[in-house]
Amino acid sequence: MSVDVKTAAAAAPPPEKARSQWRVVGRRFRRHRLAMAGAVVLLLLAICCFGANLIAPYPQNQQDLLLGAVGPGSDGHLLGTDALGRDFLSELLYAGRISLSIGLAVAVLSTIIGTLLGALAGYLGGWVDELIMRTVDLFLIVPAVAVLALALRGLGSSPGTIILVLSAIGWTSIARVARSQVVSLREKEFIEASKLLGASTTRIIVRHMLPNLAGVIAVNVSLAVAAAIIVESTLSFLGFGVQPPQSSWGQLLSDAAGLLGTDQTYLLIFPGVFILVTVLCVNFIGDGLRDAFDQRARRR
Amino acid sequence: MPDFLSRNRGLTALIAVLLAAGATACGSSDGGGGTVNGAGGGSTSASTGPSGGTLVVGAEQEPDCADWIAVCAGNIWGSYTMQVTTLPTAFDTRKQDGRWALVPSDVLAGEPTVEVRGGKQTITYRIAPEAVWSDGTPISSRDFAYTALQIRDGEGIFDKTGYDLIEDVEMPDEKTAVVKLRTTFGPWRSLFGGSYSILPEHLLRGKDRAKIMKDGYSFSGGPWKIEKWQKGNSVTLVPNDRYWGDKPKLDKVVFQFIPDTSAAFQALKSGQVQSLYPTPQVDAISQIKAGIPNTRVEVDAETGNLEALWMNNGRFPLDDEAVRKALAYAVDRKAIVERLYGPLGVSDPEQSFVTPLVGAFAGSDFDVYEPDPARVEQLMTGAGWSRGGDGIWAKDGRKAEMTITSLAGNKRRELTEQILQQQLREAGFALKITNTTPAEIFSKLAPAGDFQLGLWTLIDQYPEPALSASFSSTSIPTKANGNSGINFYRANIPGLDAELRTVDTSTDQATRRAASLRADALIAAAVPSLPIATVPNVLMTNDAIGGPTSINPSEGPWWNLEEWTRGQ
Amino acid sequence: MLRFALRRFAWSVPVVLIASFLLFWAVRATFDPVAKLRQGHDAGAVQREIERLGLDRSIPEQYVLWMKGFLTGDWGTSTRTGGSVSTLVASALWPTLQLMFWGVLLAAFVALAIGVYTAVRQYSAGDYVLSGLAYVGISLPAFWFGLVLIQVVAVWPVQSLGWSEPPFYFVGLHAPGQSGFNLDYLRHLALPLATLTVTLTASWSRFARTSMLDVLSSDYVRTARAKGVPPRAIVLRHALRNALAPFVTIVALDTGVLFGGLIVTEQIYSIPGMGRLFLQSLQAGDVFVLVPWMFVVAIAVVFFNLMADLSYALLDPKVKLR
Repeated sequence: MSVDVKTAAAAAPPPEKARSQWRVVGRRFRRHRLAMAGAVVLLLLAICCFGANLIAPYPQNQQDLLLGAVGPGSDGHLLGTDALGRDFLSELLYAGRISLSIGLAVAVLSTIIGTLLGALAGYLGGWVDELIMRTVDLFLIVPAVAVLALALRGLGSSPGTIILVLSAIGWTSIARVARSQVVSLREKEFIEASKLLGASTTRIIVRHMLPNLAGVIAVNVSLAVAAAIIVESTLSFLGFGVQPPQSSWGQLLSDAAGLLGTDQTYLLIFPGVFILVTVLCVNFIGDGLRDAFDQRARRR
Repeated sequence: MPDFLSRNRGLTALIAVLLAAGATACGSSDGGGGTVNGAGGGSTSASTGPSGGTLVVGAEQEPDCADWIAVCAGNIWGSYTMQVTTLPTAFDTRKQDGRWALVPSDVLAGEPTVEVRGGKQTITYRIAPEAVWSDGTPISSRDFAYTALQIRDGEGIFDKTGYDLIEDVEMPDEKTAVVKLRTTFGPWRSLFGGSYSILPEHLLRGKDRAKIMKDGYSFSGGPWKIEKWQKGNSVTLVPNDRYWGDKPKLDKVVFQFIPDTSAAFQALKSGQVQSLYPTPQVDAISQIKAGIPNTRVEVDAETGNLEALWMNNGRFPLDDEAVRKALAYAVDRKAIVERLYGPLGVSDPEQSFVTPLVGAFAGSDFDVYEPDPARVEQLMTGAGWSRGGDGIWAKDGRKAEMTITSLAGNKRRELTEQILQQQLREAGFALKITNTTPAEIFSKLAPAGDFQLGLWTLIDQYPEPALSASFSSTSIPTKANGNSGINFYRANIPGLDAELRTVDTSTDQATRRAASLRADALIAAAVPSLPIATVPNVLMTNDAIGGPTSINPSEGPWWNLEEWTRGQ
Repeated sequence: MLRFALRRFAWSVPVVLIASFLLFWAVRATFDPVAKLRQGHDAGAVQREIERLGLDRSIPEQYVLWMKGFLTGDWGTSTRTGGSVSTLVASALWPTLQLMFWGVLLAAFVALAIGVYTAVRQYSAGDYVLSGLAYVGISLPAFWFGLVLIQVVAVWPVQSLGWSEPPFYFVGLHAPGQSGFNLDYLRHLALPLATLTVTLTASWSRFARTSMLDVLSSDYVRTARAKGVPPRAIVLRHALRNALAPFVTIVALDTGVLFGGLIVTEQIYSIPGMGRLFLQSLQAGDVFVLVPWMFVVAIAVVFFNLMADLSYALLDPKVKLR
């Protein structure tokens, strides 16, 4: 029962190398031009939206019922106004605050839940694995729209409820990916060695598995943000999203859906473009992260 | 990766986005203005083309079932599309002396006779000799008897009001039916009509009526019969050759179900449908305002749909009549109506809780309530209120803060709420908007009195007054009536119950009318709630469709579909 | 293999049962099937209907009663339409299946083709255009795309170019009175299919591209190239086959959850499929339709998950079935 302690120690990534590994990742991300462009644009957008109180030309929900809807480029309204006379650019920024918050929160929350459950399932195997994977199936079977509708009725329609429900539904895909990563990592020697050295399950998962999942997690967070923003807009279109007086891009879209082909079509176009640009940037970032974390440096 | 190449990739994506956005912008600006604006009857009256042809109509809702007397058939679109066109009713809603009234239809050979003896009412219907079903069997008193008893005794029936008073139906001969009620029933003309109709006894007796009718039926007693109902897609009507009245001029009418407003208007613009009957929602009105070429737009503000600001008279601060009156003087109803329906040419607020459809019984006593800030101050200070530092009225430490509840997801109502909120803020009342689903409102909040202000629609379906259901004190939902009354507003006005009872039970129209007008005055004086506007009906038809198209606020726009034609 | 499938199936049964009870209970507790009646004039109608539907009993009791009927083949009648639930679900399934079938077929083929092409011709102009479009495709809200598509492709030719008919229709799958596989059907199918598949094709094509690139730079392919195997054979026979396994897995997984994406497409294009049936039943509190509906969806999800796992195991010999 002789364990080659030296082998085990050599197999575990030494601390100095781990730190420079993050530096490598950062450098490779910065070289990915598209991802950098996406990051910059997204940052600007986020600043504008989260700082809407300071940046937006008009306060939120300031109505001018006499003015009504006027087109973009009108006096003092860069993107026009909506039916209540509210400045559309301002409303887009305030709505963006909610949409981006929902997107980020759902992504982070569902990633945390999904990674932990997926890693557990992958590492422990057996009935824990079955239980967790069947729960994944359960969440796939019960339709998201139903869950959201019921939750909104029961818990009130606030962005918080939406975040909770979307996270509760959205953890399944990251769980699957985490699980399969852990399954392949499980067989690696340094894990075997750690186990033999007496490391507890928690320590193995947190200290050895999770850092190796970092790449997958990072990519999935970005994908999850993109998905959450689009899902939120779709659910709002169906009437299950954020309710007034709060607004989100999806809500603006659903309000304006019937205005296609009228002189107020811009009320439909602009939120869509904002969503498109945001999700595009997020996807570029996700691509950049995927390339940066890619162990096999095969592409130039 | 070489820098300039990766930069180009993003550029491609950006160009794609701009192209799509540009195409849309071009599309909409070319499509909307610049061509003949059909709104407001700009185009000349319809072409009277040759008969024949198919008409495709866009229907925004699909009925759930066609068994008209059953619970599943509560949707008014079923009436509009399949019931009015295929089945006979005893009375039709028609204009009489400028007012809507129930007049005997062509199924009857004249006005029925009514006798009241010992408090019991007897109605004698004489059926027209030429009235026949589509299989040739004459429409007879047996059909009346069958229909009456099916409704009175059946299970899963939508509304038994009136029919539960029927003691017996006698059939002295084929064409005479004598209906005996155990008391008097003022709105007796709505029997065998309204959203019900006369059913063919010879085809349904002893059989499962629901099963035969619910998915569409092939028999008919009207100008049309149902050829096919493709659930989810469309229902097709073809002429009934045995109809004894004016035969249809079109070969076929198809109602296509298009639930999405945007798609419906696009379908009209692209010619996929030739007629729409859209609810005047905010986006529909924008579409109409933008103009749709070659389309007639008819607007009728004399409808049976009343949108009102409902007040819970049982809750603070609305339990004080002074506060309710102050609200009535604070709201600028005309401004709201102009904002909502101005582009349709509608601007007058509604001055009675009796809708224009039932206009013969309506007063206009709410017209005294015009915006009057001085009156508001006077009323409130007189009742012991004073303005706080934030401008909101307060009394004994309690502020005039109220929640307003309405149906979620309805842009027009949200717009109304926003306007009300702004108007009332200036007058010193703070409004908080909380919207929820219709089921939540009408199953929980309203019956339990768990609301302060509400915004929803009261609907009259035919020209008979039904105020007692909403304002009679016996209709307040309590444990005694199983919480099923619909006087959600807890209105309890002295003297009102008696007048409303007269309207409900007297069989003399003049007496009923007088009582109704007095009731109207009492209501306006106590302001249990505030009527705002009638929701107008809008009918859009392509210029290729001819005929005397018009809107019937009870029977829908296709009440005279047999007179529509299609030119080329 | 068989034991794997059976064990999966065995685990799925309790999952579906639990899901069905949760859905039943949640809908019964939240949506009111007699809501329509409460706005009417007849005070007694509500009470009569409550008794008729058994709504005055406790929810578990109602569930058990319904379950008894369901297991013996009696799916009951819809509280909304009065019609048989099995007929409702079956007639809603047909349009949805059509959309899914054509959609997945089209998306998978196009995505694979684009993926292979852009991987093989990396850095070419075609790669940039197609990849750029793919990026845009996965960043679009599909319903927004659908609405804009209707405006640009169907309405604009009629309004601005004066066409007598739109080139593509957007109401339903057939013109009234028409049926079968004909030009009319295709003209109706084009736009909903485009809306449905834009996101699918975009994401699948990027996945296929990545997969292909991985395989193309692998030792296996490099050896083949060194050996002098012609490029086309490399792509088609060696690379493609290896890239196929993960691709098919993703396709199967995404198809299983496709039902959700259909709700919006069916709404915009007025197609009476499973998505529409679901929304209508939810709003009417029609639990007798919702739970069987969910069973059908559950079967589809479990089936496609199974297919995904099996196909991965079949196509990728490195994975062992535990």
